[in-house]
Amino acid sequence: MTDFHPDVKRLLDGEVSLADLPSELRAEGEEALRLVAAAADWARTPVTLSPALDARVMAAVRSRAAAPSLWRRLTEPREVRLRLRPWILAPALAAAAVLALLLVRPAPSPVASATVTVRFVLFAPDAQQVALAGTFNQWDVAATPLVRSNAPGVWTATLTLPAGQHEYAFVVDGARWVPDPAAPAVDDGFGRRNSVLTL
Amino acid sequence: MKLGLGLIAGLLAISAAPVSLAAQQDIATRLAGRVPPDVAALVQQLAADAAARGLPMDPLIQKAIEGSAKGVPAERVATAVRTVAGQLDAAAAALRDGGLVPTDTAAIAAGAFALNAGLNDRNLTDLTRASRPPYSVATTLRVASTLAAMGVPAAQVVELVTQVIAAGEPAESVVNLPAQVQARVSHGQGMTPAQAAAGLARAAAARANPPGQNKPKPPHP
Repeated sequence: MTDFHPDVKRLLDGEVSLADLPSELRAEGEEALRLVAAAADWARTPVTLSPALDARVMAAVRSRAAAPSLWRRLTEPREVRLRLRPWILAPALAAAAVLALLLVRPAPSPVASATVTVRFVLFAPDAQQVALAGTFNQWDVAATPLVRSNAPGVWTATLTLPAGQHEYAFVVDGARWVPDPAAPAVDDGFGRRNSVLTL
Repeated sequence: MKLGLGLIAGLLAISAAPVSLAAQQDIATRLAGRVPPDVAALVQQLAADAAARGLPMDPLIQKAIEGSAKGVPAERVATAVRTVAGQLDAAAAALRDGGLVPTDTAAIAAGAFALNAGLNDRNLTDLTRASRPPYSVATTLRVASTLAAMGVPAAQVVELVTQVIAAGEPAESVVNLPAQVQARVSHGQGMTPAQAAAGLARAAAARANPPGQNKPKPPHP
């Protein structure tokens, strides 16, 4: 590679003319201009390709364009490009959240509804045992016994019941059905009265 | 292949039945050892009929168990269960007239109980019409039946509940009505539940239509 004088380089860059160069550099300047002109002429010369080269290239293109076998399509390495776009990401995240909720959502609990704690009281000084039976315990006379309180003759039971309407009665000594004197009552259909509790 | 299609058809028929085998088994389990066999058979049949009409089954089962627990003869238990079935039918019809969708079995059960407590079909229809969201028809009917059980006449029950709803008071205010009536009876000298309910209804009406606030006139035709 030819290493020209800096002033000659300025000449090639068009910063100075050949006349501006010192006399001892003019020959070098003329040589540099001649080489640049020759290079430009070479670059402008059209390239003629061989017809055989054209045929080889087209044959290669056709062979690639032909349908590959299934096995080749399956095993051929492919370049996969993923482009993440925000407006696609948001619905995807939402769908993932819904799926997660469906998978981890707890089963509805039968005690999920509101419950209320209620204290039942009966004054029965002569009773040996008192129980509570109603819709909340399938009218089971053995399910909910009352206990004696500190006050003489007073029997009590405290239950947590679901909100709603309940019918009940006290069962004294296992045989006598007594409505709650502190609660409203309705006909039980059997000639007696059931107490009503609305929570 | 024909056997397979027949099996599929049978399974589809079972799955489409009003009372599934599982439900029937559940009813049988609840009744087993609690009621006489003939009463259990009657309840099974009435429950299937009720389910076919979209009615709740639990009140029928409860009444049968209750009667047997109280030592009532089977015939009377059967009569009581049939009475409850009739009340469920009547309540469903009254609630439909009030615009309620017939799938609300809790409201139907509450309506049947209200009929037993002393309200009539028309009362149920009026209360259903008044109980638009956020007021629950089932809750309104439970409150109404409790008031009736306390001794408030049915017409006054309807008046009180509808006035409270018309005043736009919170749903909890409806739930608290029996306690408010009871409080007035307890603290008022000689006040009856009917008088207490009437006083609460007047107060609710005053809140619904404050003095000096003219009702909007209907537009001229």
